[in-house]
Amino acid sequence: MDLDKKFAEVGIPLGKKADEEKLPYVHVVEGQVPYKSKHRIPSGETANPKEGLHSDIYKISEIQQHYKERPYLWWGPNPDEARAIKTKENKFLYDKRMTQSEAVKKFIRPGINLGVAGFVNTRCPFSIVWTIVKEALCNKTIQATDMTLSFQSQSLCVEWLLGAMLLDDSRVSVKRVELAWQAFEVIGSGPMWTHCVQSGMIEVDDYTNYGMSVRFKAAYMGIPYVPVRDHGGADFEVTNRGVMTKCPFTGRNVYVLPACHPDVAIAHVTAADLYGNCRIFGQTLTCEEILGASTVGIVSCEELISNDAIRNYPNLTLIPFLSVHAVSPQKYGGYPGAVWGYHWFDMDFLREWRATGLELRKAGNMDPLKKYYDKYFYNCDTWEDFLAVIGYKRLAQARELERGQRVILD
Amino acid sequence: MTEKIKAGPFEVLCLTGARCLEDKTVVFVGTGLPMLASLFAQRTWAPNLSLIFEGGSLGPILWMGLPLSVGDIRAGTRACMVKGLCAVFEGQQRGWSDYAFIGGAEIDTYGNINSTCFGEYEKPKVRFPGSGGAGAMAANSDRIIAIMALEKRRFREKVYYITSLGFGDGEPDYRWKAGVHGRGPYRVVTDVAMFGFDVGNTNKMVLLEYHPTLSVEQVQERCELKLTISPDVKPMVLPTQEQLKLMVTEVDPERYFLGKTVEA
Repeated sequence: MDLDKKFAEVGIPLGKKADEEKLPYVHVVEGQVPYKSKHRIPSGETANPKEGLHSDIYKISEIQQHYKERPYLWWGPNPDEARAIKTKENKFLYDKRMTQSEAVKKFIRPGINLGVAGFVNTRCPFSIVWTIVKEALCNKTIQATDMTLSFQSQSLCVEWLLGAMLLDDSRVSVKRVELAWQAFEVIGSGPMWTHCVQSGMIEVDDYTNYGMSVRFKAAYMGIPYVPVRDHGGADFEVTNRGVMTKCPFTGRNVYVLPACHPDVAIAHVTAADLYGNCRIFGQTLTCEEILGASTVGIVSCEELISNDAIRNYPNLTLIPFLSVHAVSPQKYGGYPGAVWGYHWFDMDFLREWRATGLELRKAGNMDPLKKYYDKYFYNCDTWEDFLAVIGYKRLAQARELERGQRVILD
Repeated sequence: MTEKIKAGPFEVLCLTGARCLEDKTVVFVGTGLPMLASLFAQRTWAPNLSLIFEGGSLGPILWMGLPLSVGDIRAGTRACMVKGLCAVFEGQQRGWSDYAFIGGAEIDTYGNINSTCFGEYEKPKVRFPGSGGAGAMAANSDRIIAIMALEKRRFREKVYYITSLGFGDGEPDYRWKAGVHGRGPYRVVTDVAMFGFDVGNTNKMVLLEYHPTLSVEQVQERCELKLTISPDVKPMVLPTQEQLKLMVTEVDPERYFLGKTVEA
């Protein structure tokens, strides 16, 4: 089928170039000014504390004794800035295919809030994170410094970034993390995460998995905050940037969370067309919301499918082209995690990282970490080289263990 | 005659956790031990137990075996619905799930659970993974089942950080003022004891069952917090050889949990 001709018939521009000036502006504000401090313990604002502004957490919280209240800051674009950026960008269907390396060089810069999609080790953007580390740490073509990371639950992707920071913080560094969870589930804690937080290297803001997911959703919805029925009464109320308020309709206490707009979001999806319309099979996680919330969306995909296929089943499009700015086809882009329809986890690979990290955290030994990055980053020019180090046997085994879940590509 | 399988701490946790799950209910399953016990329950007396995993799956049949993550493909197979985190957590907020089934690092008298940190928040002595979905599950599932090994340092009068809200300070209106939906703690499952709560009165943790090799006093010695003893306290049921065989061959053949030990 001649796609070009077919598209011409229905008037769809194919392969048209984006107006460079209208590419999304990756917003980084130095030294933001807090616009108000957070309401915590009421100071005469409510006569009856039972009616508003906080639960009884301050009566029992242990953590408040060791916690200094932080002024409120948006850790990425605020809702008005995010809206302004969105309205200005190119909105036509243009060809967004580029290599991961091109995408990373185009959009990653110091000081950004990087939203990481996927969940723990399921369909996480491994090849994109690998490319960020490769370009920043090994090739020194970009600087991925002073980053804020935002995600619900992550694992090896974030560990890789933190490990790179420990090797050379002039190339890769993370200053803040807003999250719900960071570890390896059944095989244990994330050694770099534990090391970096316990040594006070990174500032942390904790939410629940729903909290982080719905903060991205609020951002995607274009609203500044969202009421939730969790966090309240727990120590999140003391430490995070949400606020207890009173529902104007029921009069009950309700906790509200600020929207979370990353500057750049990265995701690995099942299939995408050249404009960035994406399908996801298996758990969709928070990919739709993170990409929708972000200024720039970078996706890698197992399969590049035609726009014709997208238009056959438009209901299957989970992420529309308006949320995506770079599309990089990449087989095994979610390896060593699990990708529905393609492969299961490589548990041995995950254990290898944990053993490497524990050597550093417990014994202070940097050598295993250096060797790890030599083996998997410095000595590999591309993601395919990385996969070659893993070897066909293990890739085939991961595929076998997946047991053939179904996906629709036509 | 084949060798007898030993009922170690994780085998007991698996059975006791599963015993708390009734058939024909909906349980929101957290990572780790809850996955183990839920799979065992689904394979035994609770075939009509609907599971929710926070990755976005509702009602999966775990034919591929133990999920190693709540977002695992194995946690989504043969599901009635697979969407994302927002979908299942919002369903839960709406009232979908009867039980939250969660773990944690430490727990207090009122069932408040810490899975965030020990010490200061900014520079903690020990930093844990964080809430994950547990904080949301504890807030909004109807009732909470917690599962963890019984270690002295984990059962304390007060926890460093309340991640998953139990009964707060034990006052009847604490959860109401917190703005959450669920009724709060229901069971705490450990390798050597099962606890309930004196709901509606003190809201404190109550010892319901103890391991038959221990006495009630020995269970108390293993907790920093002061236990209330139920008048109907009784020895725990231990797994039968048939149940152990199922655990070893079908539930956790790769031994992510089974066969491991716990420090007392």
